[in-house]
Amino acid sequence: MSATTSNAPLNDTRWERAVPVYGFPVVNRFFLVLFAMTLLAFVLTAYRELAGLGPVSGMNDAFGWGIWKTFNVMVLTALGSGAFAVGIAAWVFRRKRLHALMRMALLTSFLAYACGLLLLGIDAGRPWNFYWIVFPWRWNMHSPLAEVAICMSIYAMIPLAVENLPPVLERLWYFDSRLRPGVERVERGLHAYFPWIIAAAYLLPGMHQSSLGALMLLAGERVHPLWQTLWLPLLYLGAATFMSFGCVAGTTMLCCVVWKRAMDMEVLDEAARITAWLIFGWLGLRLLDILFRGAFGTAFHADRFAGVFWLEVFLTSGGGFLLWRSLRNHKTQEMFLGYVLSSLGGMIYRFSPTTLAFTPNPESLYFPSTIEILVSLGFISMGVAGFLLIVKRFAILPAPLHEWHDMASYFRFRRPYIRWTGYFKHGYFGEHESETDSE
Amino acid sequence: MAITRRELISSIAKAGPPAAALAVCAGAQTLQAETIPVPSAAVGLLYDASICIGCKACVAACAEANNTEPDTRRDALHQAPSDLNDVTRNIIKLYKPENGSAFSFVKRQCMHCLDPACAAGCPFQALHKDPETGIVSWTSEECIGCRYCTITCPYHIPRFQWQGYNPRVTKCELCSHRLEKGQKPGCTSVCPTGAVIFGPRTVLLTEAKRRIKEKPGHYYQNRVYGETDNGGTQALYLSRVPFDKLGLPELGAESVPARTLRWQRRFYQYFALPAVLYGGLVQVIRKSVHGHVHEAQEKEKQTGLRAQL
Repeated sequence: MSATTSNAPLNDTRWERAVPVYGFPVVNRFFLVLFAMTLLAFVLTAYRELAGLGPVSGMNDAFGWGIWKTFNVMVLTALGSGAFAVGIAAWVFRRKRLHALMRMALLTSFLAYACGLLLLGIDAGRPWNFYWIVFPWRWNMHSPLAEVAICMSIYAMIPLAVENLPPVLERLWYFDSRLRPGVERVERGLHAYFPWIIAAAYLLPGMHQSSLGALMLLAGERVHPLWQTLWLPLLYLGAATFMSFGCVAGTTMLCCVVWKRAMDMEVLDEAARITAWLIFGWLGLRLLDILFRGAFGTAFHADRFAGVFWLEVFLTSGGGFLLWRSLRNHKTQEMFLGYVLSSLGGMIYRFSPTTLAFTPNPESLYFPSTIEILVSLGFISMGVAGFLLIVKRFAILPAPLHEWHDMASYFRFRRPYIRWTGYFKHGYFGEHESETDSE
Repeated sequence: MAITRRELISSIAKAGPPAAALAVCAGAQTLQAETIPVPSAAVGLLYDASICIGCKACVAACAEANNTEPDTRRDALHQAPSDLNDVTRNIIKLYKPENGSAFSFVKRQCMHCLDPACAAGCPFQALHKDPETGIVSWTSEECIGCRYCTITCPYHIPRFQWQGYNPRVTKCELCSHRLEKGQKPGCTSVCPTGAVIFGPRTVLLTEAKRRIKEKPGHYYQNRVYGETDNGGTQALYLSRVPFDKLGLPELGAESVPARTLRWQRRFYQYFALPAVLYGGLVQVIRKSVHGHVHEAQEKEKQTGLRAQL
């Protein structure tokens, strides 16, 4: 962790360029554990497809939805909305320094959505009927669930996937000089359509992240009054924005610590400032809504609902306070803790209406079964393993400029035999850039 | 090059009029659509809990009429389902308060709401309301097994089959296959006391009101449950005990979908507002992308390293 301030004349912590994490093997003990978890989840999934949902999960007639939907989709895609929230700040509100975090945001979003959607397909009882998604006249346009299912799939498969292309193209460009003309042609085409793709990548998540909240509107009085409100869609969207900022910035900070990268406090401060504002704005809306509906009294009943509510409020406001304070004392530990706490609070909020604050009639309890938890963890492991693989093979993590040159010398002198990691081929690190241009 | 005030104002000014126009027409359309039409040939059930003797003949008749296997899961001997489930579309339950005041049986099956929440939430219209008879039925070809209907139904009627690779959703479909043959639904054809009768909704409503008029004060609140509750249902209930004790919650006269999805529906009407929003986003982002690409190229010249976008 560097103590260099952002105003220093020679700023060697300024994030200028995304650089792959080099010098660490992809396959290590942690990666193998994740891989084993993923394999186990696939085996259990095969069993689930044959046996049905009953034998593998704790779901029942009263709690028709288990953690696969309520946690892996509703909560984790909120953490994975970075491409939406950070993207809007960077592209629409032109917080330009945040472009340094964009690749991290896009990657975490893509992985969270991909794993969530896969699990959504496994959670569906009759997934083969998903093919109706290509027949718009069969869509029930006013169903929040149709909106979520259709919009999420389209978003993850088209705009989000396309937004993630530049690092892949860049990798191909460095991989072999014969690919360059083709790659450049594709890139030119991509840039021409970028505004339309990016705009779709903000409209669609805005729609389905709010529709995730609208899902529980139809459940009416069975959702506790502290949560049930016509503002649910907006509150769900708001929670997704600050949670995803926490996920992107927090993950980047964690990566910087683990792989000993410099932290650009200018970018991190900007992200923390935006996150703190988002948290307090969201919390204000949430509390005002509860006050105006006259449901605040129920927060002082001695029951689990009040407990969950206060836990959520303390976590989000505590996280927001720590973020705000870290802007003044520049303690990265506090900033990281702020992100963790506020994201946890947001996760509890997104988890509550469907599960913690849901009281079906007749009264019933739901606790996920072991298999259910293992599958859920397996698909999270798949996302984490994918992340570890990709940041070590593609230029995702932001770094100061010297990191790129360090990488060049590292590979030139330490591992000259490497061919398959395209960046690291001798001579393609800028030193001979002018020569290759004139080829 | 943060977004300038001039640009913000001019883009709002550009996007404003079309957005306002679309919002107005979208809002007006839904306002008209919110009065729920009663299907022309709406049929239904009238269940009078005060006559029901709890013999459960209707439960057996329902299983027979729908050719469902008997649910013997409780003692592996008798057909004794504990609640509605994947093979039980109709059930008789008993409400008996601890303090010894009036008890009542209740027959639970689909209410065939005039504005069904299950169909409002069903993503590909697997649950749909027949425009003529008003019967809410399920088709296997469109159902993705998301179980949203089990969450949305305020009466907790649709049940999901938890076993097997090809699960189905089970709910009362008013024996529509028997109606086609000119027969009455299974449950109404066997009821010994006439506690449950079948007929056109208007006729049943008149009959229910006649019974209330005959014995004022006999029925709870002198009211037919389902006349206006939840926007109106095609299964009507008379009872001596409060309806919410029988699993019929007080939902008000507005249907659950109309009440809760009002703004959702307006927002997505004709997809007009999202389209306007999209146009505005493209406008702003176009400028940002232009500036960003320009800056990246500048940086490429400075550092000699290929621009990253």
